[in-house]
Amino acid sequence: MAAPDGQVVVAQELTKVYGSGETAVVALDGVSTAFERDRFTAIMGPSGSGKSTLMHILAGLDTPTAGTVTLDGVDITHLDDGELTKLRRDKLGFVFQFFNLLPVLTAEENLVLPLSIAGRKPEEAWVDQLIRTVGLEERRTHRPAELSGGQQQRVAVARALVSKPAVVFADEPTGNLDSKASEDVLDLLRRAVDEFRQTVVMVTHDPAAAAHADRLITLRDGKIVQDGAPGGADDVIELMKQLD
Amino acid sequence: MTRLSVKSLWARKVRAFATSLAVILGVAFIAGSYVLTDTIFAAFDEIFTESLQGTSVVITAQNPVEQESGEVATVPRAYLPKVRGVAGVKQAAGAIFTPGGFFDEENDAIGTKFAPKFISSTLPEGLESLTYVEGKKPEGPGEASLDKSAAESAGLELGDTLKIVGAGKVVPFKLVGLTQLGQASFGGASIAQVSLPVAQALTHKRGRFDQISVAAESGVAEAALKRRIEKVLPLSARVETAKENAARGSEEIRDNLGFLQTILLVFGYVAVLVGAFIIFNTFSITVAQRVAEFGVLRTLGASRRQILGSVLLEAGVIGLIGGIVGIAGGFVIALGLRALFAAIGADLPTTSLVLESRTVIVSFVVAFVVTFLSALVPAWRSTRVPPIAALHGFTPTVSRGRRVVFVALAALLAAIGVAFVVAGLAGGGGISGRAARIGGGGIAVVVAVSLFSPSLVRPLADVAGRPLQWVRGLTGRLARENSKRNPGRTAVTAAALMISLALVTFVTVFASGLKSSVAQVIEENFAGGLVIENTDGFSPIPAGAAFAAAKVPGVKSVATIRGAEAKVVGPGNTVKVNGPSPNIEEGVEIEWLKGGPAKLRHLRDDEAIVSDDFANENNLEVGDTFELLSQSEVHSKLRVAGEFESKVGVFGDVLVTQQVMADAFKQRQDTTDFVILEPGADAEKVQAILTLGADRAFPTAEVLNQGELREEREAQIDQIVRLFYLLLALAVIISLIGVVNTLGLSVYERTRELGMLRAIGMSRRQVRTMIRYEAVITALIGAILGLALGVVFAALIAQPLKQEGFTLSYPVGTLIGILVLAALAGVVAAIIPARRASRLDVLESLQYE
Ligand SMILES: Nc1ncnc2c1ncn2[C@@H]1O[C@H](COP(=O)(O)OP(=O)(O)OP(=O)(O)O)[C@@H](O)[C@H]1O
Ligand SMILES: [Mg+2]
Repeated sequence: MAAPDGQVVVAQELTKVYGSGETAVVALDGVSTAFERDRFTAIMGPSGSGKSTLMHILAGLDTPTAGTVTLDGVDITHLDDGELTKLRRDKLGFVFQFFNLLPVLTAEENLVLPLSIAGRKPEEAWVDQLIRTVGLEERRTHRPAELSGGQQQRVAVARALVSKPAVVFADEPTGNLDSKASEDVLDLLRRAVDEFRQTVVMVTHDPAAAAHADRLITLRDGKIVQDGAPGGADDVIELMKQLD
Repeated sequence: MTRLSVKSLWARKVRAFATSLAVILGVAFIAGSYVLTDTIFAAFDEIFTESLQGTSVVITAQNPVEQESGEVATVPRAYLPKVRGVAGVKQAAGAIFTPGGFFDEENDAIGTKFAPKFISSTLPEGLESLTYVEGKKPEGPGEASLDKSAAESAGLELGDTLKIVGAGKVVPFKLVGLTQLGQASFGGASIAQVSLPVAQALTHKRGRFDQISVAAESGVAEAALKRRIEKVLPLSARVETAKENAARGSEEIRDNLGFLQTILLVFGYVAVLVGAFIIFNTFSITVAQRVAEFGVLRTLGASRRQILGSVLLEAGVIGLIGGIVGIAGGFVIALGLRALFAAIGADLPTTSLVLESRTVIVSFVVAFVVTFLSALVPAWRSTRVPPIAALHGFTPTVSRGRRVVFVALAALLAAIGVAFVVAGLAGGGGISGRAARIGGGGIAVVVAVSLFSPSLVRPLADVAGRPLQWVRGLTGRLARENSKRNPGRTAVTAAALMISLALVTFVTVFASGLKSSVAQVIEENFAGGLVIENTDGFSPIPAGAAFAAAKVPGVKSVATIRGAEAKVVGPGNTVKVNGPSPNIEEGVEIEWLKGGPAKLRHLRDDEAIVSDDFANENNLEVGDTFELLSQSEVHSKLRVAGEFESKVGVFGDVLVTQQVMADAFKQRQDTTDFVILEPGADAEKVQAILTLGADRAFPTAEVLNQGELREEREAQIDQIVRLFYLLLALAVIISLIGVVNTLGLSVYERTRELGMLRAIGMSRRQVRTMIRYEAVITALIGAILGLALGVVFAALIAQPLKQEGFTLSYPVGTLIGILVLAALAGVVAAIIPARRASRLDVLESLQYE
């Protein structure tokens, strides 16, 4: 069930502290924000600013020290492993920086993996559409080792979309790619939002990547220091400079 | 570098221990086999020495032909006065020491089925070695003693009835004393003492002794006394000092039980071989996983030799652990084996466990050699890691050309192996040479198949994995793909299981063939009637049983057969000689090749009927003569009067008259009685009467109909099969440790992948299932290969036995059972790795390097 105001993910006063006493590290320091449906949000910030930590907590992969996360109206901060598994199956899509695909399965099998895991039959038309969108019609039966890094990452994006999740989280999905391949992947994420009405939250280091988003959140020392439209890549670079 | 490898081993100590376990178990079994047999031998030595307390010289009959179960030659009473007349003899007495049967008031047997029971005569003070711990020495008729441990386990007390069967009817005695032989333990064996004349009467050795014990006057050397006694006795008397006698006794025990040591060691070495596969695999995997580490070391300037040294040092440490813990484990295994043998009724004498230096040396050598050899190839591979691997990772690839060479090598090895097996089967050379050739060839074939198995992994994984995929969909599919991912690794893991299961299959198929052959022989030969034999299935029974049986209404006649071992004069080999009663063919059919039933019915004492094998081996035609030497040193010239087809059956190689059996071979007891019924007689009723009579008068005998006889034989085979299964269980367990180890390592390797699967929605349960099926597929690959190999070996070895009447039969149900059990074993082996995989923290695994 969606929140009445169209917010898919709501974070309230998220705090994450690693360690304790003298050596304690505050990775997140009272972060509150919300992500609206059908929007593409980029999260940026200097290294160690807490981007990954925030994303992991939003995705239920990690638990906050304090604060709550509500996903599709459900508080996910106190779910057990079984409930979290179900949540990841039904509501979430993931794209990681590397190691996205299973080497033993073909591109298409990797693409439909979330459905296979859930024991659901993929809708053929939908899978075909995804494959066309990622431009891998010719490579359905290829194994990941036979695909380029960019192609692999495109399969990973398609996989994140295949179960039509409430939100797709991507942690530096282009971190490992050259600019042409990055462009393809970002383009794909953009189309996921525009054409398939998906919600995407992406952590990135790359100002050019952030420029594809509708909204840019900037973190620093575990706090949100900027939140708004990203503007062009140059604007983003300027913004980052100011922060440093 | 040394510090580094010790550290790196310590960092992976759980894995290192699991790897050591693969060596430890095999070494422990080898050490245990030695410890057990050495202990048994030591116990016998103790018995021999103890039983010769006070005796200086022992006189027995020469025994030129070793007997399997029949009568041993005796010495006549006439020797005694001659010996007593020799200067320096303080005391001399004849003694009886003959196998018999003991029963309690209710006719229940005392002592386990296969344990020897001896009827012994009391000796005069000074020569007696048994001490009476309770009661008194038996004197005169009606009194007997029993050794304390037998009495205790049978619940007998002084004053109770002890029934003894010798060569005649059972005789009841009153238990008047309990004995002990020093501190020695007889294991399951027991000794009953009666006075000398009673013992002679019981064993039908009136006027004869099994041995004469002599005590020397003080100051007279045993050796000198022996020489003096030799002078007054004929050559057929064997005169020995007590020491010589004990030495011969222990020598004979070592000969007779040597096979036990050999069999146990074979199982031990099989376990070691299986362990070698595991070590090889573990080292291969860890070396592959540590490629980056080696790369870093290389960039830091470590030489190839240093890398090699560090890996081999790890192997050395594992070998050392294997040796030390293996020897310690050997004691546990020895105790376990002893309990196992006791459980099947072979309760062997024991004393405190014996650890010979040979056991220690062999254990360490085996542990080191096996770990070093197994680690050599992986260690060499580690040296191939280029410094650049520190950055990029490195997978040593096997080129196509190398692969072809590999397969060619495997094929060659297989061919050589098969050739050796065939050569071994075809014969030539001693039994040990043949066994070595068959065994060596077998190992070569096994290694060849293992070399070849990486190529078989893909198709077999599909065969085994498809059904899983049908049932389980994605997890089955992933398990199948994962097991094919690293075919070499899966292959070696499966090969370890293959070896153990090949042996299990071989034993199963062979035993089933043996059973069906025995069943066939019984079916063909003993049509209708009843059979009387010893309850242990091989010892003779009193001749009186046949006479008594013949008088029972409904019994038409009783045919008997008695047997002994004899030496063929000339070639000198030992053959089984049987003396059937003239009416034998009423009970058992003979397949005549030359001559016929009439020949046998009217066989003369200077004639023999021989098997075709015997005739061929000795170039004999009907009318030719040959000469046999009996254990009592009687030479019998025999003329061939007929020929029969040799078969696994009752007749052995040579048939002579029962008169010859009695005169030359001193066999007056029967091996088997065949009861022929009157037409129309009620077999069940006759059997009931006979059984009742046997219980009362001849309790060592039992009456069996055709079905019972078959069941009895099958039960004997089954028992041996079960024993083999138990011994093979060790190898199976080791190969399962291999599955655990390989699976654990690949879970560790795939941590990130597993994290990803969990992140996109795979449940813990699904992860567990996936890993479990991976283990099941590996186990099934091993089982399929093992079944195939086992069946082929059984068929090969059965081939030359065909003409002896051996037919193979394939116990399909049991073989399928093995397959199912292997799959279940895979499930068990997967428990720990699957649990580990499912408990991985999603986030941590994703970030795992
Ligand atoms: N498991 C952990 N244990 C202790 N500290 C941690 C842990 N994970 C993260 N941190 C600390 O928390 C802070 C935030 O880390 P986080 O990984 O979220 O940063 P980031 O913004 O993703 O950095 P980068 O851009 O380098 O990926 C850092 O100071 C980091 O050292
Ligand atoms: Mg990060």
